[in-house]
Amino acid sequence: MPRSKTSPPPARRSWAALLIRNVLLWLIPVGLLWGLLTPAYNRFLLGSAENLLHLTESPDVTDLPRLDRHRAYVQRRDFPPAKSLVRQFRVTDVHFHFLLLGALFLAVPGIPWRQRLENLGWAVLITIFFDIFLLFFFVKSVYAIQLGDWSLSHYGPFARNAYGLARHLLDLPFKLALPLLLWAGFYLERMLGERVAPRASGGGGST
Amino acid sequence: MSRRQEHAPDRATFPGQRRRREATFLALFVLLLAGGFTLISLHWVNGHVVEPFTAGIAQVSGAALDLLGQDVRMQGTIIRSPRFAVNIRNGCNGVEAMLIFLAAVLAFPAPWRSRLVGLALGILVIQAVNLVRVVALFLTGAYFPRFFDSSHTVIWQTIVILSGVLLWIFWATRFARPAEPAV
Repeated sequence: MPRSKTSPPPARRSWAALLIRNVLLWLIPVGLLWGLLTPAYNRFLLGSAENLLHLTESPDVTDLPRLDRHRAYVQRRDFPPAKSLVRQFRVTDVHFHFLLLGALFLAVPGIPWRQRLENLGWAVLITIFFDIFLLFFFVKSVYAIQLGDWSLSHYGPFARNAYGLARHLLDLPFKLALPLLLWAGFYLERMLGERVAPRASGGGGST
Repeated sequence: MSRRQEHAPDRATFPGQRRRREATFLALFVLLLAGGFTLISLHWVNGHVVEPFTAGIAQVSGAALDLLGQDVRMQGTIIRSPRFAVNIRNGCNGVEAMLIFLAAVLAFPAPWRSRLVGLALGILVIQAVNLVRVVALFLTGAYFPRFFDSSHTVIWQTIVILSGVLLWIFWATRFARPAEPAV
């Protein structure tokens, strides 16, 4: 990437300082856009996760109906109507990492806009797949560990532990770390090239 | 940061080496992250390390709220006042942000001394931000309960993780200087 042709670092302001400033500045517009798109994305996410769940069910028994703008239910059609809504959850909580993702990818200084947007596009695509799988594992873990006797009779110890651990790992560390992980995947090389080293002046042994 | 520093691109490596370094970082980061979170999910670790740590955070947060004139009572990890009560659980104790920061620092190619300094400072800053989060969330719940849900997950979770990420970027570019600087 020819650094000098795009935006040469201004006098003494480091790449990292520019990046941090840009991330903070991008948070608000990204947040507004995320807020606008959230209802549509929630619908898309629920529909996609429902389809993925149906691939593992025969017959199809899981529905993910919306309760309101942010919340939805896990519903099992094979349960008695009074007990069919087995769990309520906030869909919006699944994908708020888009705030960090958008701000981090748009804030990188010294990268042409076209490439920034292209990288962001790939990162968003990966994140969408991640969100669908996260919702899938969320529902599966509800079935495996949170429905009392029904869970115990339908899932063995290995399945309960596996679904529980998958949800624990996807829902906290990887959901929260995904923006950083993706950002590092695209820009770590750039960051390694921007590290500050001691001045190469005489006397010191470190140069 | 010392003034005796200058911008010196990391030019000691070939593209292939850089890619390998990048892949190593990503693999180590994922492994450390998964390992760390699996470790804290064990009952013994949760009961003997995470819960006491969370109770300590609740105590400090309660003391801070007391200083702000809130009539709070402590009960383990629960902070209670006549207006509102909050139970500090995993996800609200800053441990997640600390583990993400720790995994990123340990996976990054840097001298151990820089890593240890980064970890010590990073953990302090993350916990300070988390203390502000708990206090702010309690006040939000007490006075603006309508905004509690969004603040709890979306806003403050983002702020705490963001503080860890920005701190890591700052540390990685300013303090974790290459082990063998370019001549």
